[in-house]
Amino acid sequence: MGIKIALAGNPNCGKTTLFNSLTGSSQHVGNWPGVTVEKKEGWLKGRKDVVIQDLPGIYSLSPYTLEEVVARDYLVKEKPDAILNVVDGTNIERNLYLTTQLIELGIPVVVAVNMMDLVQKNGDVIDVIKLGSTLGCEVVEMSALKGEGGMEAAQKAVTLAQTHRAGELPHIFTSRVEHAIARIEESIQGKVDDSYLRWYAIKIFERDEKALEALNVSAGLKAHMEERIADCEKELDDDAESIITNQRYSYISNVVSKSVKKKSGEHRRSVSDKIDQIVTNRILAMPIFAAVMVLIYSIAMGTSITDGGFAIGTFATDWANDIFFGEWVPNWADSILNVLSVAEGSWLYGLIVDGIIGGVGAVLGFVPQLLVLFLLLAILEDCGYMARIAFIMDRIFRRFGLSGKSFIPMLVATGCGVPGIMASRTIEQDRDRKMTIMTTCFIPCSAKMPIIGLFAGAVFGGSPWVAASAFFIGITAVVISGIILKKSKAFAGEPSPFVMELPAYHMPSANNVLRAAWERGWSFIKRAGTVILLSTIVLWFLQGYGFVGGRLQAVEDNGSSLLAAIGNAIAWVFYPLGWTGDMAWKATVASFTGLIAKENVVGTLGTLYHFLGEPGENGEKIWALAGADFGPLSSYSFMIFNLLCAPCFAAMGAIKREMNHAKWTAAAIGYMCLFAYMSAMIVYQLGGLFAGAVRFNLWTVVALTALVAVFYLLLRKGYQDEKRFRRMSSVDTKIK
Amino acid sequence: MIPLTMAKAGDAALIRKLSGRDEMRRHLTGLGFVVNGNVTVVSKTAGNLIVQVKDSRIALDKTMANRIMV
Repeated sequence: MGIKIALAGNPNCGKTTLFNSLTGSSQHVGNWPGVTVEKKEGWLKGRKDVVIQDLPGIYSLSPYTLEEVVARDYLVKEKPDAILNVVDGTNIERNLYLTTQLIELGIPVVVAVNMMDLVQKNGDVIDVIKLGSTLGCEVVEMSALKGEGGMEAAQKAVTLAQTHRAGELPHIFTSRVEHAIARIEESIQGKVDDSYLRWYAIKIFERDEKALEALNVSAGLKAHMEERIADCEKELDDDAESIITNQRYSYISNVVSKSVKKKSGEHRRSVSDKIDQIVTNRILAMPIFAAVMVLIYSIAMGTSITDGGFAIGTFATDWANDIFFGEWVPNWADSILNVLSVAEGSWLYGLIVDGIIGGVGAVLGFVPQLLVLFLLLAILEDCGYMARIAFIMDRIFRRFGLSGKSFIPMLVATGCGVPGIMASRTIEQDRDRKMTIMTTCFIPCSAKMPIIGLFAGAVFGGSPWVAASAFFIGITAVVISGIILKKSKAFAGEPSPFVMELPAYHMPSANNVLRAAWERGWSFIKRAGTVILLSTIVLWFLQGYGFVGGRLQAVEDNGSSLLAAIGNAIAWVFYPLGWTGDMAWKATVASFTGLIAKENVVGTLGTLYHFLGEPGENGEKIWALAGADFGPLSSYSFMIFNLLCAPCFAAMGAIKREMNHAKWTAAAIGYMCLFAYMSAMIVYQLGGLFAGAVRFNLWTVVALTALVAVFYLLLRKGYQDEKRFRRMSSVDTKIK
Repeated sequence: MIPLTMAKAGDAALIRKLSGRDEMRRHLTGLGFVVNGNVTVVSKTAGNLIVQVKDSRIALDKTMANRIMV
């Protein structure tokens, strides 16, 4: 058995940076508090017998967010051999609040005071030896960013873990409280390992239900201990929990006053405050935010630099699509296949050049653009602006039942829904998080851009309004869903109040930013290499082969292919959306392949119309054909449906992971599909009726009913949980 | 005692009481809001606050700030 060392500390204390340097593994580091929810492990460099376990950032061992639950459960149940506690030296008082709780766990603790370079720059002095002797544990200095002191701290933790030597526990509380805790210790002796005794005793004193449950004490013993707690509360005229927290903090400020010398105790107006004064200003906040977003999107997805814009992303992606996957790779493949004497026109040649390179290449072509977008988002995150965005958006999002923290997932989802859904973890309240997961995918992700681009270009003559309306549809879908869901029983109640630490602004570290961008980009590339590769092969086969005269063989016209047969069999479902005639099966098939990856929607249409027309020399011709076949109204309904319906399998997987519940997953995906279908139907049937393109029919009535139903759901009185109100108010009175 | 939303920006104030659900009070305590501790309102925007507590900046909305009495 190797040695397990847990890294624990407040969010934004530099824990993840230390983890990276200790293990050398790649890890996402951000300024959005608590980016690491997953348990991440790594070997200490040069020591294959030492496992370093990175824990999510926590403020205390009383869990509030999902991440804090994860961290506490790990520390209490899995019991690492030692804890390496990273402490932000510039905010030592708050950070030591967690430290004192960690020490009580009875596990050897090494405290690494991080950001010593900043502490010295501020002119402050921290006496680590004195700090260590008062707290009863090893304290070392460190600067994770500069890579100083981290390894030494880890080595100390290893030594302590080997000797199993936890420090002498400091007496934090006043004698009256220590007395009560000692009596509780006596009562529960034998039920837990002796080294855990104090921690459990304090938790019982605080009336922590989870700790009490874990001990499985008899009712008589429980009543006995409760009596001790009540006595102590009466004597000190305060509730037990407040007694503990207040005494803990006064102990800490005592420790800090002895071992930390601050240059000036007064509130210093930092650079961060000055920046915040501007970027969170009531009037300026939104324009600044809008400008930042416009800048990011014009760099990543705007007009290419070759066309007079300044979008590096578009430029790189154009190059990847037209030159790299358009000429180079097919040419290489062609020469390799020639050497292997695979004849042009043979099925293998077709599969590799038309199927695989055409399909996978179309998807990989987006990589440069995505990398630029991910890079810019990572910079926003690392420099600290992301947390401010959540704060600014909170006021607006609250109006339709979401919290400002829901905005970050949606922002990330404009790049890709998968990291977007994963970003929802930092939302504390369960129902807020579920609602965010259900609505995040309405925001058009980068893979849906080509769908918008295709129809805006081919059908609507490049009208910028169509592209803009696509974003508008996404945002409207979020708003409408927010209001509707909030009024249902499952989501009733205010979104949890907003509270969030704003980390100090700092220059983003190149290492962190590149790592974060590459990690997100790489997961996209991996998908292209696996799921999308497989689906293009299957698709290529299905649309090139069919039963002719009862025999399976290659077909000239893909209208008689297997794919057409499948598409035609399902197409009736979409009849009310205006998918009629010859385009029906193609639209149906494209929507279904879109489930594998949204890039496939355009890719599939490309392949299908490629067959139809003369060998398309340039893409324009194919798209013109598709546009003519679809017609404006059906195009629009097709676009709406595909923008809003169930996301790709990868995103559905992410939804399943985050919901962690089959029923909720099904509900989320079902809701999206229903919403998409209804929206597309309403637009086609009612929009068509007004424009005179669609005659009044049965579906007009259905669409009208659906529209009325949406309005009813929007305007009805929300579900009110009487019981919850009563319970809340009784808690409030008790506190008063 | 007044709620933190009514405190003047720039002045340090003493926290006198935290109210609200237990876990929310615990969370506030973890963030550094503790009775008899100091808090300074750095800026106000439509009732939402940025405050300094210990050595960190915390953003709070109106509902949350109303639970902190100074």
